[in-house]
Amino acid sequence: MIQIKQLIFKYIRRDIDGNEAGSETVLDGINLQINEGEFVAILGRNGSGKSTFAKQLNAILRPSDGRVLVDGLDSNDDDNKYKIRRKAGMVFQNPDNQMVASVVCEDVAFGPENLGFKPDEIKDKVDNALRAVHMWNQSDVATGRLSGGQKQRVAIAGVLAMEPDYIILDEPTAMLDPEGRKEVIETVIRLNKEKNMTVVLITHNIEEAINADRVIVIENGRVCADDKPDKIFMDKELIDKNGITVPFEYRVWREISGGRKATVKNIEQLADKIADIAGDRVEHAGCRTELARHRVQTVAEPYSDNKCTGTHNISVDDEPLLVLKDVSYVYNPNTAYEKTAVKDISAAFKRGEFVGIAGHTGSGKSTLIQLFNGLLSPTNGCVMYEGKDINSKETSKKYVRSKIGMVFQYPEHQMVKDTVYGDVIFGPGNLNLDKAECEKRAKASLSMVGIPEEMWDKSPLQLSGGQKRRVAIAGVLAMKPDFIILDEPAAGLDAEGKREIFDWLRKTCVDDNIGIILVSHSMEDIAEYTDRMIVLNDGGLIYDDIPATVFSHSEELRKMGLDVPCAVRLMNELSLRGFPGCPDIVKEKDAIDKIRMWTGLGGNEND
Amino acid sequence: MIRDITIGQYYPAKSPVHRLDPRVKLLGTLVFVISLFIEKNVLIYGIATIVLIVLIALSRVPFSYMLKGLKPIMFLLIFTCAMNLFFVRGEHLIWHWHFISIYTESVSRALFLGVRLTELILGSALMTYTTTPTELTDGLEKAFSPLAKLHLPIHEVALMMSITLRFIPILTEELDRIMKAQSARCVDFDEGGIIKRIKKMSTLLMPLFSSALKRAGDLALAMEARCYQAGQARTKLHPLKYRKSDMAAYCLIFVYLSVIIYIKYIY
Repeated sequence: MIQIKQLIFKYIRRDIDGNEAGSETVLDGINLQINEGEFVAILGRNGSGKSTFAKQLNAILRPSDGRVLVDGLDSNDDDNKYKIRRKAGMVFQNPDNQMVASVVCEDVAFGPENLGFKPDEIKDKVDNALRAVHMWNQSDVATGRLSGGQKQRVAIAGVLAMEPDYIILDEPTAMLDPEGRKEVIETVIRLNKEKNMTVVLITHNIEEAINADRVIVIENGRVCADDKPDKIFMDKELIDKNGITVPFEYRVWREISGGRKATVKNIEQLADKIADIAGDRVEHAGCRTELARHRVQTVAEPYSDNKCTGTHNISVDDEPLLVLKDVSYVYNPNTAYEKTAVKDISAAFKRGEFVGIAGHTGSGKSTLIQLFNGLLSPTNGCVMYEGKDINSKETSKKYVRSKIGMVFQYPEHQMVKDTVYGDVIFGPGNLNLDKAECEKRAKASLSMVGIPEEMWDKSPLQLSGGQKRRVAIAGVLAMKPDFIILDEPAAGLDAEGKREIFDWLRKTCVDDNIGIILVSHSMEDIAEYTDRMIVLNDGGLIYDDIPATVFSHSEELRKMGLDVPCAVRLMNELSLRGFPGCPDIVKEKDAIDKIRMWTGLGGNEND
Repeated sequence: MIRDITIGQYYPAKSPVHRLDPRVKLLGTLVFVISLFIEKNVLIYGIATIVLIVLIALSRVPFSYMLKGLKPIMFLLIFTCAMNLFFVRGEHLIWHWHFISIYTESVSRALFLGVRLTELILGSALMTYTTTPTELTDGLEKAFSPLAKLHLPIHEVALMMSITLRFIPILTEELDRIMKAQSARCVDFDEGGIIKRIKKMSTLLMPLFSSALKRAGDLALAMEARCYQAGQARTKLHPLKYRKSDMAAYCLIFVYLSVIIYIKYIY
């Protein structure tokens, strides 16, 4: 049992001479008890104090005031430090940064080695731990060769090898792809259910909290809710206040149920519940046959004359500006490490289009976008911009790169100057423009992305994740690009930050007629925001069409390790339950409207 | 470009050389290097070359892969050989043109130097190709463990080495990504004179350092969370243990050394 009593924690700021210059209260009077065998999820927006709280549970940080007791051991007592760490193991966010050794089994052995066990005992512990995370057959693999999800499972094994009673995970999936996320969360659930391990999972991905016994919401260093997931997810006020997105199932249920309570842990359950209430209604109105008649599956319209996207029309240039012709890219050609990353891809992009590129890790997405602006030159085929081959000697790489802007996954990598303003003006400064024009552009783009003037002199590294991302985008915008390519722009942002970035991108795409090419693992984001999507698998282009058509191939997508958006899955489940098929619905809002139409229930209307 | 460097990387294979205890390989490499510097003698070099070829064959590391490791220092190799060839004076002039004169002595000197450097690099590369970084640091730690009695932090230094080796590929990959991210913002790293290029490189350092520092901080936390305490006695999953083959290898090293000394002083 972990008891937290009146926990207060302050970070103390010091000036250059080491004198106290002030303090910041991060945790402000937390009272909690975590019981054995529980699966507790802790939610809260970025900066709410949830990570600091996690570090209190295994004596990495210690209370400024109040007490943390792990099985009765007080973390303020120095003698208890290592006893507590052994009881309560911790897994961190970045899988690369917590591995000590270069080989899996040696990394897992690090903990028991520190505790002074004999080689035979260590070997047993390592084997058991690796078995528990289903990585036993990879015990001798080099850690560098593992996928993100596997690395994180090794990190979990590294904690398990110390045979703890509690395992604390601090956003363990934040840097993983969907496949890795699933692996890690399944492992955690299994440990909880089969080994009766107490799990404390800190996350801002709400889908991961759905299987918890208990959800705790932390806001400004205080516990503002502590309840069963169902209760928390139906509390609209609480959710909105904390910038949390509720899982899709609960979001939809809240909108259509008119306040009825229900447990909807997955899409099937939700579909059953909807069928129930619709059944009541429909039976009542005597139009069940009407619904049944609609059961005919309609086929989505092809791209050429689409009506289903319901977004703006791409009208401006009929000629596509950026064209890929049979492009291939091979890494390390003619060596033992030869690897074809991109195979014979042809595609064309227009200004004002919002295109999504999907594919699982290793499908060639990152390589493909690097071909767009000449960061890589294709092994075969050519990339044309404004009708010219961008890799020919006559074309200026600078010009191409200023017109086809790219925002990378880690905005820090792109920052070249020590102030926000200096960084944004850097791009135009490279383009031989006069000073006044550079300044004008920098100021305009910073205000476009909504960075207030008082932040312009700050260091980009001081900004929050969302702000950094916006500064990176401003740096690209200042070069007046025709296209902006973004690689996972929402990675590491909380729900609110994510929504802001996407809404803004959508607006820029329409208002300023800029082509947006979005690389993302999230099918939800692609379904919500794009007009067209490209699916890659093993370096080849599989689909290039409107999202509705692509998502109608849900079986094929699943074979490639890709999901379809929840809205599509829900509509498919509903059609299995006798509702008419709606292949044109890919967005959540459209799905809710449709269901409301069927059930006749509104959001706040009480039945 | 940066990722092409293969020297110092482990080449996984199952071979008698891979299986040897790292301490044996360390001593073996040391003896081999000494033998190359002991005297310029055709017989010694002949024996060393044969031994090296046999070992490379035994190790199952492809010869082409070994040669690829030479590439980054090829320039240095050719440059030193050429300097010796053209500018060393001797007695028997073979060829003369303006200020360049080639003597038989300079030819033999350049040849010796070339062979010595190549074998030196191949010999030490063979050790790193067949020994994992962990084994290597374990071996060094064990070999230097008597010094720990003098309160030198041998274990800590060994751990630092192995962590450094682990992070080299991660940081080179990151550098590659940072370079690309900045190229996308119209920084042209291939343009301008040397000073201009170095200046441009400086923009890479800020993100690289800030990331390296963050990683170091994260790793320190993760190590602490797994009960690491500097200075405490630790145990090992795979403690180094000598096998019969290691003893046999020590004998062979001794034989090799004796032969070399015999040739130098008695033969």
